[in-house]
Amino acid sequence: MIRPAMPDSTRLNGETQPRQLPSPNGGQSSSAPRPRLGQWGRPIPDPGLAVCTRDLSKWYRHPWTGRVFRGVESLDLEVRRGEVMGYLGPNGAGKTTTLKVLTGLHRASRGQAWILGEPVERCASRRRLGFLPEQPYFYDYLNGREYLELAGRLSGLTGSEAHRRSQHWLARAGLGERPLLRLRKYSKGMLQRLGLAAALIHEPELLILDEPMSGLDPFGRRDVRDLILEQRARGVTVLFSSHILPDVEMLCDRVAILLDGTLTRVATVGELVHDSRQRIEIRCGGLDEHDLPDRFRTVLERREHPHETVLGLCDESRLPEVLGWLLSAGASVRAVTPQRATLEELFLATAESWEGTRQRRSA
Amino acid sequence: MNAWLIAHNTFREATRDRVLAGVLVAGVVLLLLTQALAPLALGEAQRLTVDLGLSGISILGLLVIVMVGASLVGKEIERRTIFNLLSRPISRPAYLIGKWIGLAGALWVLVAVLAAGLWGVLAVRGLASHGPAVATAAYLAGLELTVLTAVAVMFSALSTPVLSALYTLGLYCAGQWSYDLRAFASNFPPALATTCRFGADLLPNLPVFNMRTLAASAETTSLAHLMVATLYALVYCGCALALATAAFETRDFK
Repeated sequence: MIRPAMPDSTRLNGETQPRQLPSPNGGQSSSAPRPRLGQWGRPIPDPGLAVCTRDLSKWYRHPWTGRVFRGVESLDLEVRRGEVMGYLGPNGAGKTTTLKVLTGLHRASRGQAWILGEPVERCASRRRLGFLPEQPYFYDYLNGREYLELAGRLSGLTGSEAHRRSQHWLARAGLGERPLLRLRKYSKGMLQRLGLAAALIHEPELLILDEPMSGLDPFGRRDVRDLILEQRARGVTVLFSSHILPDVEMLCDRVAILLDGTLTRVATVGELVHDSRQRIEIRCGGLDEHDLPDRFRTVLERREHPHETVLGLCDESRLPEVLGWLLSAGASVRAVTPQRATLEELFLATAESWEGTRQRRSA
Repeated sequence: MNAWLIAHNTFREATRDRVLAGVLVAGVVLLLLTQALAPLALGEAQRLTVDLGLSGISILGLLVIVMVGASLVGKEIERRTIFNLLSRPISRPAYLIGKWIGLAGALWVLVAVLAAGLWGVLAVRGLASHGPAVATAAYLAGLELTVLTAVAVMFSALSTPVLSALYTLGLYCAGQWSYDLRAFASNFPPALATTCRFGADLLPNLPVFNMRTLAASAETTSLAHLMVATLYALVYCGCALALATAAFETRDFK
């Protein structure tokens, strides 16, 4: 259901309030944001933010039936300057929609968004932005050098500077050996690398990448990861969506999880992992089959392997007690390993929790 | 500035497209054909050459507009190449204007090459004095194609490539008959006649760009006519592009 538009001033604030898991009010942040108003009463974002959205919503109306579909709903997203943020969500969650609104390819239905302090409706907001769309397509009648020169000049470089940088970036992307090869002869991986080079040619302050690693082989993924890390070292802000969660875990300072068009969580990977249930795995040998005392039955899970017993402990505070019992029972303890939940597991758990809450509410 | 970059790229796209090369070859074949048909013209070979040559310029230019211009924006949206442009600091009006200038530029080159070829054929036949008449008529044909390019860009920004090709072709035909439509309106009751005349006014007044008959007689039109035609073409292009921009501003690219 579409809610009526709210005045911007009621939703503006300068501080990030990470969304928690679905709340009865639809996942909205409960704290009332404070407005920051500039000249003529216009809202202005915090200058320390590279990306800022307030109550950003995007709906699509079916041209024939008139039915309204939700892309994103009341999105309050903040990306700080210099950080790498992963934008996660299942297919259809609204990730690409958000990125398209930020890059001026979609118009917001409600709310506002700023890039490096400029409203996204203004062309100037894209002056210091580099964008790589999902599965990028290029003019197949151009060659790599011509395309990069065009990209550079459109982003404000002079002709000679665009020429110089196009040569540099072609070489950097591993495409410098055949600069005159027409793009219609490029492979998918080559096109993806060319797209990244085009996004970076004008040395942007903000890089928005939509699924930059999709369809790439392990070498290509490694190259993209290295490029992102290199940009982070330069102080570039990176916002990227991806389904490849190990890469997100490796690269990101923070992740934002979008589900069904709603931002459900913004946190560092460390926070997400810390919030999750810790589990400790104990591998030991020489433990009798009937040796598990009753007092441990609620916290220990036992699995028998061919040459050892694996105990899963879900309460870290009871580790000394368990180890003491194992040693006294004559077991040989081979390994004690804290089991950290992966980002993938956390993401799936968040998505399942959201889906469960949504079903309960609709019931 | 960015409009010029888009225009340059569109010009490059059009000139590297096989359609333009094919049209140029067809134009040369048509000019040679006029010489083959000359003995059948019963002493009107010069008129036949000029008339067919200038008509060929208009028709072949229209063919380029329908095949390239009508899909100029729609194809970019379908292929998603537009993402790479509009995610840079380019306004949507600048994008559309650049597209229009680029294709119109390629068409002016086509017109100039074919007109030069026509003048060459006439010079070989000892009719080099037809030069000014051919140049004037070719200039007006170029203006006509510029107006049609703006119309094609407008439809292309609003519709699919196939539909915009049909709309452009339809508007070309209706524009050619805009005088007849006005004359026909006098047969209707006053209210309907006014509506009909208003509709005719909205159509591009293409006969104003047709000087083929005069050129065939080696006559040129007045400077005032050329200026009015130029002004009309610019105003019509401005209106078409303004409409296109208004609709394009709110469009989402999926």
